[in-house]
Amino acid sequence: MPQVIEVCPVDQLGPGEMRLVEWEDLEIGVFNCGGNLYAIEDRCSHDNGPLAEGEFDAENCTVECPRHGSLFDLKTGKPKSLPAYVPVETYPVIIEDETIKLEVE
Amino acid sequence: MAVELTENQQLAAINADYEERYGFRDAENYLYKAPKGLNREIVEKISEFKSEPQWMRDFRLKALDHFLSRPQPTWGSPMLAEIDYDDIHYFVRASEKAGRSWDEVPEDVKRTFDRLGIPEAERKFLAGVGAQYESEVVYHQVREDLEKQGVIFIDMDSGLREHEDIVREYFATVIPPNDNKLAALNSAVWSGGSFVYVPEGVHVEMPLQAYFRINTENMGQFERTLIIAEPGSYVHYVEGCTAPTYSSNSLHSAVVELIAKPGARIRYTTVQNWSTNVFNLVTKRAVAHEDATVEWVDCNLGSRLTMKYPSVYLLGERAHGEILSIAFAGKGQHQDAGGKIIHAAPNTTSNIFAKSISKDGGRGSYRGLLEIAKGAHGARSKVVCDALLLDEHSRSDTYPTIRIGEDDVNVGHEATVSKVGEDQLFYLMSHGIPEDEASKLIVNGFIEPITKELPMEYAVEMNRLIELQMEGSIG
Repeated sequence: MPQVIEVCPVDQLGPGEMRLVEWEDLEIGVFNCGGNLYAIEDRCSHDNGPLAEGEFDAENCTVECPRHGSLFDLKTGKPKSLPAYVPVETYPVIIEDETIKLEVE
Repeated sequence: MAVELTENQQLAAINADYEERYGFRDAENYLYKAPKGLNREIVEKISEFKSEPQWMRDFRLKALDHFLSRPQPTWGSPMLAEIDYDDIHYFVRASEKAGRSWDEVPEDVKRTFDRLGIPEAERKFLAGVGAQYESEVVYHQVREDLEKQGVIFIDMDSGLREHEDIVREYFATVIPPNDNKLAALNSAVWSGGSFVYVPEGVHVEMPLQAYFRINTENMGQFERTLIIAEPGSYVHYVEGCTAPTYSSNSLHSAVVELIAKPGARIRYTTVQNWSTNVFNLVTKRAVAHEDATVEWVDCNLGSRLTMKYPSVYLLGERAHGEILSIAFAGKGQHQDAGGKIIHAAPNTTSNIFAKSISKDGGRGSYRGLLEIAKGAHGARSKVVCDALLLDEHSRSDTYPTIRIGEDDVNVGHEATVSKVGEDQLFYLMSHGIPEDEASKLIVNGFIEPITKELPMEYAVEMNRLIELQMEGSIG
């Protein structure tokens, strides 16, 4: 069953910023790419690296895994460079009552 | 009539030929030689020398940070600890630009390549040649008919200048700078290497060859090669490398990226014959899209330490990857070679054939990865690694890793370690073949499945090199 979890008030995640949230045993990075919000699992599909801690390029909407440098598209979760080749999980972002929320399952 | 040599004469013969054929050195007559050591200033200077766009300068500086922040790897070989990164010249410029005729190449550099037989090989059987001396390419030429078909074969520096859009699209997408410490180093100080682009449907029937030469002592050579084969195209790229023998170490750390689009085929052949003072730490990786084929033919004879595991990511359905690896570890050498294949799509196929020969206390290692990802239904793979030990002081190790994420796949793995057996020798000698000759025959038979995949000229050279390594191996 999908479940909705709260991340933070909208004004606390400005453009170019990232916030990490935990839900059960999952960690999810929520990114603000120039006003558009995207959420991906904080775990690189190559070597389980802490993806959300990597360099965030808000202009191109990508994040680079700090462990081996794979670049991920935040919109789709797909890797744009090796060594990762499997997409990471993405989560729908909802804004409700001036609050950022995620739909998780 | 065969002349009997004493054991000492035979031992003395090892590498004597290397010195004469490849181990010679030229007087240093350079336009620029960076002081030893690596820092931000050196990286900026390299970029400035090459008048690079800002994005490449930023790329280099970011890579430098990665290199500095990563620890030296602790796996592979204890010899890695011998590398002193502060004792290396990271950039040496021998020529103003890459000539398109040998007449444009500085005289002493040209003499070196003449001596190595490169211009002659070009005339006889190559479709194009690149020659790198120290940090940069001094000569590059591709046959006119191929150029007319849109084939690009130029040095990487010119590739960036003349085809910036293509380079920017593909550069470092196969091997990002943060992939590993040595890839980060290469990304920070890369210079030279080849840029190859083969348009859709074009078959380059004759090989393109690049020849890499280090001349300076304590030199670091960091070439960067990018090959893009558009759908349905074919190209065979061959590289060779040598250096003078010095008592102090040099470092060669290349990054090679191959992209085979749907239905394309790339074959990449290496005959690595660095002198035994060169650390050869190279990252080579390829992607093969739908119905594409990538083959690495990797022969390692020289260097003090080689750590190299060419890999193929089979990303498209029915893609095929092939790795043929020969490693010959003589006295004081460690060849840590192998390969990696990742099956990331259904019905992909692959083979890894690795052969290592160790003698005179040398160490040969096979290190490999075969991965079949979830969803790669119907994948098939065969891994065979054989090691031949020529004496009891030598060493062979095998480190195979196999990860399988699906049930309906077919994976085979075979490994053998053998000694040149008394019975094999006895059999051949009983037919009147002298012991030395018999031993060479056994070794040649052992590596034949791989040398037969080399273009004839290289197969001949390979057999000659193996024979040279074998001189005096039976005491």
